[in-house]
Amino acid sequence: MVRSLHVVILYLLTHLGLIFFMFPSNIIASTQQGHWLPILIGIFVHVLFLHIYMKGLNYFPGENLISIFSGIGKGAVILLLVPVLLYFFIITLITVRAYSEIITLVFLSFTPLWAVTLLLLIVSTYVAKNGMETVLRTGLMLAIIFLPLFLFVFILSFQNVDWRYFNPVTPDLNFLTSRSYYESFFVFSGGFLFLGFVQPYFSYERKYIIFSALLLIPFFIFSVYIPILTLGQATASVTFLPFVVIADSINVSWLMFDRVTLFFLLSLISFMILYISLVMCKTILIINRYVPSIKPVHLLYILSSLLFFLCFLIPDWKDVEKLFWWNTLLRFYVFIAVPLSIYFWGVRKRKGKHETI
Amino acid sequence: MKLFNKNVIYTFAILLITILPLTGCWDNKDINHRLLPVVLGVSKIENEYEVIINLPVSNAGKIESRIVSFKDKTIAKAIDTISRNLESRVDLLHVKLIIIERGAAEDGVKDIIGGFMRSREVSPKALVAISDEDINVLFSKLKDTIGLVGSTTVDFFEKNAGWDPDIALTRVWEVYRGIHSYTYDVAIPLIRSGDEFPMEQIGSAIVKNGKMVDQISPDETLLYNIFKGESSSGEIEVMEKATVRIVNNSIHHKGSFHNNQPFLKSKIKLKVVILETRGEPSLNEIKKELNQALSERFNIMILKTKENKADIFGIGQFFRRELTRKELKNWRTKYYTNLKMDIQFNVDIQNQGYLITS
Repeated sequence: MVRSLHVVILYLLTHLGLIFFMFPSNIIASTQQGHWLPILIGIFVHVLFLHIYMKGLNYFPGENLISIFSGIGKGAVILLLVPVLLYFFIITLITVRAYSEIITLVFLSFTPLWAVTLLLLIVSTYVAKNGMETVLRTGLMLAIIFLPLFLFVFILSFQNVDWRYFNPVTPDLNFLTSRSYYESFFVFSGGFLFLGFVQPYFSYERKYIIFSALLLIPFFIFSVYIPILTLGQATASVTFLPFVVIADSINVSWLMFDRVTLFFLLSLISFMILYISLVMCKTILIINRYVPSIKPVHLLYILSSLLFFLCFLIPDWKDVEKLFWWNTLLRFYVFIAVPLSIYFWGVRKRKGKHETI
Repeated sequence: MKLFNKNVIYTFAILLITILPLTGCWDNKDINHRLLPVVLGVSKIENEYEVIINLPVSNAGKIESRIVSFKDKTIAKAIDTISRNLESRVDLLHVKLIIIERGAAEDGVKDIIGGFMRSREVSPKALVAISDEDINVLFSKLKDTIGLVGSTTVDFFEKNAGWDPDIALTRVWEVYRGIHSYTYDVAIPLIRSGDEFPMEQIGSAIVKNGKMVDQISPDETLLYNIFKGESSSGEIEVMEKATVRIVNNSIHHKGSFHNNQPFLKSKIKLKVVILETRGEPSLNEIKKELNQALSERFNIMILKTKENKADIFGIGQFFRRELTRKELKNWRTKYYTNLKMDIQFNVDIQNQGYLITS
């Protein structure tokens, strides 16, 4: 079934959910001026690997990542699929933990963390339980409900912008040595691996995905630049969630709601729930292939209860950051190795075919 | 499809259970057990902050206005103590105006504003004002004249209510930006209680890096607002020969460097309507007089801010292209004091009312 729209929307939503929280502060911390360069480099790398990945997948029509890797051999499974599995597990853990912290920080300051974590996990487990197709359909529904709200607040956030803060515009290359720059790559690498998992259920046209990646560019840039243009680098760098602060300072007298941040955050959190369920779904798909004796639904329950308890082993934000940093190495490995190897095997497979003909 | 198979029932039950944590019943406080002050007063007495709020308290069916204050090491602690000693919890979620006593403002508002930015309870878009007199006096007088220091007090600053173009409008996040920014300082409205009016605007405080260093008059504040591009329509200018009302204003700046000296050329276009005249001045005379009065006032104000090294106009913003970040850091001390300004007022008289002036 060709359903490009669903895949495109899932791609857009998961990235939007990732962009607006930690990414701005990571980029702002990574350099003092000319933030456009680190962002554009990130986008370039993202689109490049996205293209390679999709091109590689194209050589294996109707197959997903798991069947491709297990078709290649045991080495590929151990060297590639196991890290991917580990990576998925850690990012689910980090995402659940970080986002429940953000929710309590921003608007549920009196609610205990476990309640927020539980809700995040229950909803995403429920979505993931019904499989990849449901995740894709839910994406469409969330887009209809929340995307207009999100765009409304995004446009409003230009309210206090002073464009002159764009200067000094010349970038320095310090960001290449900055740890937070490499941490910021989670937005570029976190979302697109799912394209290798939707295949048997949904198929898509490559050009639409590339097109939607280009559509994301303004969001990548302005998520960082709106805080800078409003507060200036010196002030923006001392805020923890710069974009949320900006959303909080939007003043709209004709709107009956006092704080539009709530709409903004809840839209993004719903996108994040979708993201969590997507990653869970992928994790279960991988495990199920090698441990078929346990029912996937039971696996999912085990996984989410494990996540719930592991969340309590991370007591404070410093530890979240530590975990985030450790995961960065794994992330780069997965981000680079998976697309390249798929492409490489794809080309080889085609060549092999030609030779036999 | 069977509608009532086991799975559907299970899922439905689980979904129903999730409603329970959603109610937040373990620490829920109903709205009638919460007090939501709109105006918050802060003063500083010897390293201790005094927080003062005016609350509506219902007493035997009647709603009374009560002023409560408490002194403690930090603002959060003071509010917490007020909360403890009242029958309801005090929530700062709806604070729209923060009035800081002059003494505290001169000492520096960095910690106060930083606290508000950090906790997120107080919205960063809340307005900030500085009280020229003892904050207790201001609050009790305001309570006497308008009943409750609440939304009516905020209306003085609301654009869709009592705001006038000679009142500086400054929000918490702008003050916070002024503390850290290299090129932005802020002007904060300076208020005191009056005998005839509940609240009098006596000008604006120049706040540099979070510290009040000087003040400007309401007339100067008007120019400050015009310079910032804020609409000044409706404002009345009185001169020797005529009284005019500004109906439209626009501004254009151009910054350049001459021998390491910043040079700013600003053109301000004003459209005015003549309201009253004294004698028989010609249109040109009126234009000239207005032009002169405004430029003079502006130059005096610029001198004042230069002396204080406080760039409330954000003039440094126009030179961001020319300066590096390191140089921008010294903008206030090294460049701003050296600034040369050429300000031109372009006055258009849009109409003269029902009478003709030649």
